[in-house]
Amino acid sequence: MGLTEKINRTDHLSYFEGQIPVEYVYTYGLGLEKFFRAIKDKGQFLASRCKACGVTYLPARSFCERCLGGIEDTVEVPGTGSVYSWTVVHLNMDETPKEEPAILALIDMDGTDCRFMHYLTGVKAEDVKAGLKVKPVLKAKKDRVGHIEDILGFQPV
Amino acid sequence: MAYQRVAIVGAGITKFVRRAQETGKELAAQASKMALESCGMTMDDIESVSLGTAPDAFDGVHMKGEYLSDGSGGWRKPYMRQFVGGGTGVFAPIHGWYHVASGMFDTCLVVCSEKMSSCHPHPQGAFKTIFDHTTEQPLNPTLIWIFALEMNRFMQTYGITKEEIALVSVKNKKNAMDHPAAQLPMEITVEDVMNSETLAWPVNRLDISPASDGAAAIVLASEHVAKRITDKPVWIDGVGWNLDTAYWATRDLYYPRYVEKAARMAYDMAGIKEPKREIEIAEPYDPFDYKELHHMEGLLLADRGEAVQMLLDGKTQRDGDRPMCPSGGALGVGNPISATGLMKIIEIFLQLRGEAGKRQVPGNPRCGLAQAWGDLMQVGTVVVMRR
Repeated sequence: MGLTEKINRTDHLSYFEGQIPVEYVYTYGLGLEKFFRAIKDKGQFLASRCKACGVTYLPARSFCERCLGGIEDTVEVPGTGSVYSWTVVHLNMDETPKEEPAILALIDMDGTDCRFMHYLTGVKAEDVKAGLKVKPVLKAKKDRVGHIEDILGFQPV
Repeated sequence: MAYQRVAIVGAGITKFVRRAQETGKELAAQASKMALESCGMTMDDIESVSLGTAPDAFDGVHMKGEYLSDGSGGWRKPYMRQFVGGGTGVFAPIHGWYHVASGMFDTCLVVCSEKMSSCHPHPQGAFKTIFDHTTEQPLNPTLIWIFALEMNRFMQTYGITKEEIALVSVKNKKNAMDHPAAQLPMEITVEDVMNSETLAWPVNRLDISPASDGAAAIVLASEHVAKRITDKPVWIDGVGWNLDTAYWATRDLYYPRYVEKAARMAYDMAGIKEPKREIEIAEPYDPFDYKELHHMEGLLLADRGEAVQMLLDGKTQRDGDRPMCPSGGALGVGNPISATGLMKIIEIFLQLRGEAGKRQVPGNPRCGLAQAWGDLMQVGTVVVMRR
């Protein structure tokens, strides 16, 4: 096997900069439209239950991934849950340090078969444990726009 | 099932580096040429081409299969690109296997090329776009964060410590000292890992593989052709792949069930009944140190929660009873996503032929396995090889 040279001095290479000139306009889709409207207007968490498979999806979905059956109805769930796993993140995406470390968690959502990924608030990293009961913290109704960041995070019950 | 038996007959790999001057297609061409020369073949002998390469966003070219086609020998050939995230490097040879096993072709060049360094300020920006754009991207997650969630769950479930897991990084980076293509060969201690920068607890800098540029390639041939090319063919006797739920956060993160399903598919095809006894050497995917242990369990090479004991007992060292990542793995050789998986295939190919040089494991192994893992922590790809 031959080998290429290792480049140790990148300043010896010629380079140029580029970018992709697009932005995105996302629709929520049939299922998530219901979920985010309920968060925005009522502060409610809507799930979808596939009766055939016995699986409850959160956020609400329009179909079941197991049987591909359509799901029309939604069910309200409390939005509470318990911590399944967590991490304390120190760096931003570009590897610059965060001003304050943040706690990102996976939360087993009560009354569903799904987990949410979201931030924990109002708790110190050393006090987080698997199974910690948490509840959602929403923005004030006037500030909610129907977006995942209408949920500010989850805090201990 | 009736299909042609398929052998690996040649291999090539470029050096894995932080930033290559070569473009992705130049890296692909270098690895491809090396693979052809290693078995005395030319592009005239190649009937089909399988390319593996990971996110288009790395290059900013949203037709990356076509973009890399010239360097990969795709010119006027039946050419196909594969992409299942980090699992791609073992999925591309599975596709190549299909091309030959089906009887459609007698030879296939499998190429995996990745250039991550073009992405600024960091390839994590590209990885952000693998998440759901409505429910996840606004939270700005990085892959390191979600692996930290998985690592923590793995540690919590079995009571495994960070210090124990760090031994994988120590082992693999040391193994890489003997790999001529390695980007991060190092002799380090558990303390070095523990004292390295915390990225997302419990993940420190030295727990993870680097971003890399590099390429690898292999040549596949049907049985009657392989025997004309080499007296040391390495047979692909089993292939498997499997995808878990799209709701990735909902999976049991402590155990990769989809890897088990992929492994069982490959073992059934290869006639392997007792993987712990029959798989003598393996290259489980190790982009993070805990993943080697996690994958050993999914591959049924260790009982659940027991892989760490094999590590502590020295069984997974190169001279141990069941060597894991004798190449140095993604942690030591580097992690140019798709090329990493093919590097692992090549390591088993060389080990089974007795051509791994200073990395050669003792005992003349006859049967080995390479595995990769990707998409959103949900796809497993497995190839079983015998000499």
